[in-house]
Amino acid sequence: MKNTGLPLRLEGVSKRYGKYTALTPTDLTVAAGEFLTLLGPSGSGKTTLLNLIAGYLEPMSGTIEIGSRDVTRLPARQRNIGMVFQSYALFPHMTVGQNIGYGLAVRGVSKAESTRRVSEVLSLMRLEGYADRPIQKMSGGQQQRVALARALVIEPDVLLMDEPLSALDKQLRRTVQLELRRLHQEHGRTTIYVTHDQEEALVLSDRIAVMDQGRIQQLGTVDDIYDRPANAFVAGFIGESNLLPVKVNAVAEGKATTEVEAFRRTIVAPAAPGVEAGQTARLLLRPEHLLLNETDDGVPAEIIEAVYLGELSQYGLALESGQVLTARRITDRSLRTGMKVSLSWDPGHARVVPEN
Amino acid sequence: MSKLPLWLRIGGNSAASLVLGFLVLPILAVVPASFNKASFIYLPPRAYSGVWYERFLEDAEWRTSLLNSLQVAVLATAIAVVLGTLAAIGLRRLEGRWRAGITALFLAPMIVPVVVTAVALYRSALDVGLSGSILGMSLGHMILALPFVVINVGIALRGVDENWLKAASGLGGGPWTVFRTITLPNITPGIVGGAVFSFITSFDEVVVAVFLAGYSNKTLPVKIWESIRLEFTPVIAVAATMMIVLAIVLFAVAQLVSSGRETPTK
Ligand SMILES: Nc1ncnc2c1ncn2[C@@H]1O[C@H](COP(=O)(O)OP(=O)(O)OP(=O)(O)O)[C@@H](O)[C@H]1O
Ligand SMILES: [Mg+2]
Repeated sequence: MKNTGLPLRLEGVSKRYGKYTALTPTDLTVAAGEFLTLLGPSGSGKTTLLNLIAGYLEPMSGTIEIGSRDVTRLPARQRNIGMVFQSYALFPHMTVGQNIGYGLAVRGVSKAESTRRVSEVLSLMRLEGYADRPIQKMSGGQQQRVALARALVIEPDVLLMDEPLSALDKQLRRTVQLELRRLHQEHGRTTIYVTHDQEEALVLSDRIAVMDQGRIQQLGTVDDIYDRPANAFVAGFIGESNLLPVKVNAVAEGKATTEVEAFRRTIVAPAAPGVEAGQTARLLLRPEHLLLNETDDGVPAEIIEAVYLGELSQYGLALESGQVLTARRITDRSLRTGMKVSLSWDPGHARVVPEN
Repeated sequence: MSKLPLWLRIGGNSAASLVLGFLVLPILAVVPASFNKASFIYLPPRAYSGVWYERFLEDAEWRTSLLNSLQVAVLATAIAVVLGTLAAIGLRRLEGRWRAGITALFLAPMIVPVVVTAVALYRSALDVGLSGSILGMSLGHMILALPFVVINVGIALRGVDENWLKAASGLGGGPWTVFRTITLPNITPGIVGGAVFSFITSFDEVVVAVFLAGYSNKTLPVKIWESIRLEFTPVIAVAATMMIVLAIVLFAVAQLVSSGRETPTK
């Protein structure tokens, strides 16, 4: 059952509900066997995008291709896509086996063949012996695996999952995440996965698409998105960040010269595409990249809060301008609330990003 | 839960029993009445016998009226169930404003005075030559029964998760397959409930039937109504008893079907 699925290509796909634009025209290419995560706040259009790909919604514009097949106008049942719903959407009047075998039965696969494939996927999901159980008698985690089994057994070209773990408690979620990763590594097929949970996205994904306001704000590897965010939204949404308003004086060779009001200084830092001279932008400084008392000519600041997190500590720093920043350092007991410190950073780790 | 004082509980229970008694006993009284031996209804009967049941079955007019009633009720129920189920499914797909309006339209036969409906049907039936026919009465009763199906199936449909249907169609099921394998099994209790109400609505309906029956196609309630004006014989009690028994049996069936659904065996 080694089938890596097919590549997926979206071109200019958009969706409106009345006057409300749930998805602006979107391009997206997913390679065969790739695991792509859609990450974004509530209402950003993740489910809308997934439903468009699955064929449950019709796009206002654009084309969707799976492999070399244009499926834009095909109904969901002809797209050969496996979908795992947030609520699982298991059929309550059927057993585990009947649920999993449903897709095979409606495709006219023979009884014997269907039984064989169902038991194969049951053992893949570590659910041997549960075929005759009514679905209501399965636990949440088991139901989640049945839902995945039901989507996988039809050998879909693309697998879609809409927040499939959000109904599970935190501990179980970790276990299932690792399970999903194992499955993808062994039987990897083209997968698009929706989640709210950054950590989950980091554990599972080859690439992440960060969505906001019906738009893919950035698409890239975990490193791309964390180290080289495309704009202030992505920088603020992924990981923790200090984002300071700046005025851009000049941009040259990927670096921007900016006036940082909060520092009362002009600094030069790597700039994201889209940062233009004469405009306002944001300076991104991750808490772990801020240095305390490493240089004498740093920005003067006062520690207003020190929270020990074990090996690391988190410091609240008030600048003379009144701006407050967060820094995270290896715990140093000599740093206490009320102390004046000199704040600096490795110039390579600062980044100027467009506001949006 | 706080316990009510004893006197209040006894008082409450007695009141409830009294109300129930007033409602049910007069109806149940026809059962012993139907077993009278005399040709007049004594309550309680002075002597018991099944002679009036024989009389009922021997009399061609009574027999025919029972068969007519069954035919009309079956036909009305069948049409109401199909149309009502389709209507309920269609209504669920409509946007809020449209849904409320069109639902009201479907439920109108329950609210409009039956005699108004009957007059309207009488006029229309004459125009299309359905007056005095079994089919005409069936269609008339179907209209009265439709709201029960729309309501019952509508409620059952609320328990059908939209995502089940999406999942089923994504797995390759066409619209008909999805309906047959997912929707239908989950709304069966609602359909059966609607069917039972439809059947009973038709079976004991008298106003529309009087207007549409004509001479040869009287239903049982029409025949009862006619007979009772001529003579007060225990045959009428027999007919009434049959209607009660049928109603009880049907409700029992509906109950079994819906409770069987909620707690799947095995
Ligand atoms: N049927 C609909 N009619 C009108 N607006 C809708 C409809 N479905 C979704 N929307 C709107 O489209 C936007 C995107 O919705 P979508 O469900 O794609 O968000 P999401 O990213 O999946 O959010 P969540 O994380 O909460 O699931 C939302 O603002 C939502 O209110
Ligand atoms: Mg969603």
